[in-house]
Amino acid sequence: MQKLVTILILAVFISFAGYANGVEVGAPAPDFTAVDTKGNPVTLSSLRGKPVILEWSNHGCPYVKKHYNSGNMQRTQAALTEDGAIWLTIISSAEGKQGYVTGAEADELSASRGSYASNVLLDPKGEVGRLYNARTTPQMFLIDEEGIVQYQGAIDNRPSANPKSLDGATNYVLAAWDSFKSGEAIAERNTKPYGCSVKYAD
Amino acid sequence: MSKYLTSLIALLSLSVVAVAQQSVVQESHTLATLAAEKSEAEPGSTVWIALKHEPKEGWHTYWKNPGDSGIQTIINWSLSDGSTIGETLYPVPHPLPFGPLTNYGYDAPSILLTPITIPSEYQAPTYPVKASIEWLICEVECIPQFGEFSFDIQIGENTISAENRSIFTEARTKMPEPAFWDASLSIAPEAAELVVYMDAEETSDLSDAYFFPDQEGILDYAAPQTFRISEDGLVLSLTRLKGSVAPEAISGILKLTIGDHVTAVEVDPERHIVESISNTSDAPIIHASSLPLWQAALFALIGGLILNLMPCVFPVLSLKAFSFLSAGGLSKSERRQEGWSYTFGILASFGAVVGVLLLLRAGGSAVGWGFQLQEPMFVAFMIFVMVLVSLSLAGMFNIQTGFEGAGQALASQSGNKGAFFTGVLATLVATPCTAPFMAPALGYALSQPFYVALTVFFMLGFGLALPFLVLSYSETVARAMPRPGAWMEKFKKGLAFPMLATAAWLLWVFSNSAGSFAMLLLMLALITIVFAIWLWQQSDGKVVRVLSPLIGLLAVVAFVTQIETMPAPSGENAPEGFANTAVYSNATLDGLLNDDKPVFAYFTADWCITCKVNERVALYREETIDMFDKAGITVLKGDYTNQDAEIAGVLSKYGRAGVPLYLYFPAGSKEAVVLPEVLTVGLLADTIDG
Repeated sequence: MQKLVTILILAVFISFAGYANGVEVGAPAPDFTAVDTKGNPVTLSSLRGKPVILEWSNHGCPYVKKHYNSGNMQRTQAALTEDGAIWLTIISSAEGKQGYVTGAEADELSASRGSYASNVLLDPKGEVGRLYNARTTPQMFLIDEEGIVQYQGAIDNRPSANPKSLDGATNYVLAAWDSFKSGEAIAERNTKPYGCSVKYAD
Repeated sequence: MSKYLTSLIALLSLSVVAVAQQSVVQESHTLATLAAEKSEAEPGSTVWIALKHEPKEGWHTYWKNPGDSGIQTIINWSLSDGSTIGETLYPVPHPLPFGPLTNYGYDAPSILLTPITIPSEYQAPTYPVKASIEWLICEVECIPQFGEFSFDIQIGENTISAENRSIFTEARTKMPEPAFWDASLSIAPEAAELVVYMDAEETSDLSDAYFFPDQEGILDYAAPQTFRISEDGLVLSLTRLKGSVAPEAISGILKLTIGDHVTAVEVDPERHIVESISNTSDAPIIHASSLPLWQAALFALIGGLILNLMPCVFPVLSLKAFSFLSAGGLSKSERRQEGWSYTFGILASFGAVVGVLLLLRAGGSAVGWGFQLQEPMFVAFMIFVMVLVSLSLAGMFNIQTGFEGAGQALASQSGNKGAFFTGVLATLVATPCTAPFMAPALGYALSQPFYVALTVFFMLGFGLALPFLVLSYSETVARAMPRPGAWMEKFKKGLAFPMLATAAWLLWVFSNSAGSFAMLLLMLALITIVFAIWLWQQSDGKVVRVLSPLIGLLAVVAFVTQIETMPAPSGENAPEGFANTAVYSNATLDGLLNDDKPVFAYFTADWCITCKVNERVALYREETIDMFDKAGITVLKGDYTNQDAEIAGVLSKYGRAGVPLYLYFPAGSKEAVVLPEVLTVGLLADTIDG
């Protein structure tokens, strides 16, 4: 009987391990609830009616630094939030890993970086990250008013930590947003994100 | 002064010559070397340039497809106009797992090779090679490193650099071999399959295989790759991430372990987009390690024995036992013959049931034990059988009239044929009674190859037949039975009541799956048939003998045609009483689990007596409801009364073929605690307290 129980538990484990997370462009974005830096729960589906941008971040990651120190990320945030989009920066670093911050630290970071994000969500257990199969920082998702994923992937087409690489780079998020706003087809809807791995708990 | 300057320049140029064909950059975490294969080269010739990274202990650099995260090395060449730069070749990478992610790269020194062709009209005495290179080095955290490299190659006769020879020898041993096997890659939304056309001799010693794709979107880097050998050669099963986009062209490196020798070969598979991949090696993963056959067979035997005591089976069995006891004149061999006929009757019916189940399974239907009761017409038929058997037991009509329920009529016949059909009847009425012992055995059986399923069902039938078989064999047991007498007739009449109770329960099942109006029609049809039987018994006259079967037939036909056209009610409703409840769906469950909510999911059906008993004695009790609400548990109810592919999927996931199934997901856990099939309040409390 004990063996049977072990087998059942094993079966449960295997079936969950095999369960595919991830996001399909053109399909509804998986719903989640996460707390912001003040401890308030934020539910994705409650933002229905407004476009939402998800940005995975880790302030210690050199690739994130490239986009923040150069002001590229803030410019992108400003452009989209001015157009009425909700920008959610999500931190999935586990406690003790690079990029992990408390609510207060996150607020400080937003202030010092001059972030235009609408809200910063803390996901130290990595649940939202795994639900979206977020692999790198930065990694971006654009979700439309209806909750449909319109873009997922890298912020731009230059997988480099060198700030010079920003010259002449195609900002995929801005490009997707411009096309989406004007009702045109988005040219690049699904790209390979680049950067540091998301520092999930082991 | 100018003389001094000249000598200084001469000295410097001398030192350049001395370190020519190589440029070294020492960064905090990497020693990087750029080197040329030739010390002297002719204009128009191609020179291979090596970039060697020696990472600090424990740190790694990346392959051209870095996997889940990371960056391929970026080389920006500054060469004289007219130079051509070929594709950079990367050595065979290693998978580098990191938490839930996997990267492809090198946790040891690695050498990249790039071919550069000097313009044929090149005239200067030296050819300067300059490159600005960015590479990423990571342990857990990542550090992008940069280097400016520069050296000269002398223009002259092609000469291999003695100094750099070892770098290139080492580099070439670590490069993959060029493709020599044909391959094809089938891509389905969430799985892919790489077939490499190798012959039997090539695959005979193969002990491991791994595919590194050059492009993004082919596979989930972190998922295990499983291989098998088929007639076509090597078949590698790959998992894909939901929503990934299949690349237009596919290439990569196949790493093979043949004997104790590891080899890596490039592959350029043909690309096929398919709807799904019938993954023969995937399905039995859960069940392969399940119960050993003997244990499942034992469970089945015990389950079969227990079935004899079920209220729906016991009366039928007693019928046969009585006929045995009263037929005192039977010889030993006649008794044994009857015992075996009865056993064969049961086994044949079980054979038929398992045949239908396996046939449906082969057809792709998700069916489980008790699936017969998801069909209202079958339930209606069972109600007819139960009522007619009970009326016969109660003595409303006797065997000589020859007009009874078919099974009962045949079952009451004496002799081998009668015994056989009693076996069939016993099986028929036993099907709804899923005893706790049977569920694991049946779940196991239905997920196994044909012969295993057959063995388990055979043992179950044998268990059902065993008491009677023992009775027919053992004189001692037969003598221990009470003597035949008038009490038998009274007892028989008494047995009508458990049969009627079974009918009442089935009627409730029927009304839940077909609706209350359908139940009214069914009851009218039943009464009409009983009336027809009564009418038949009133007279031997021709009119009555023609009229009564006609009335019975009409009742059945009217009922069947009415029911067939009626839509089945959905019957799905959330459980009542609890604070947080919902109807089960995979999406609802996933949503709750992602929110870290504790969840109790139960799967039930109206025709499942065990389920209903558990719900009454444990689940719907006030103390349980209080306990669940206090713990903030959301209760999800999955109703399997009617066919439901989603629930069938859940059942098979947990190795079950039927309900009940009770799952508890503690807060923050995505792994279920599977509760036993018999619940008590105490057991629920223990489960929730962890």
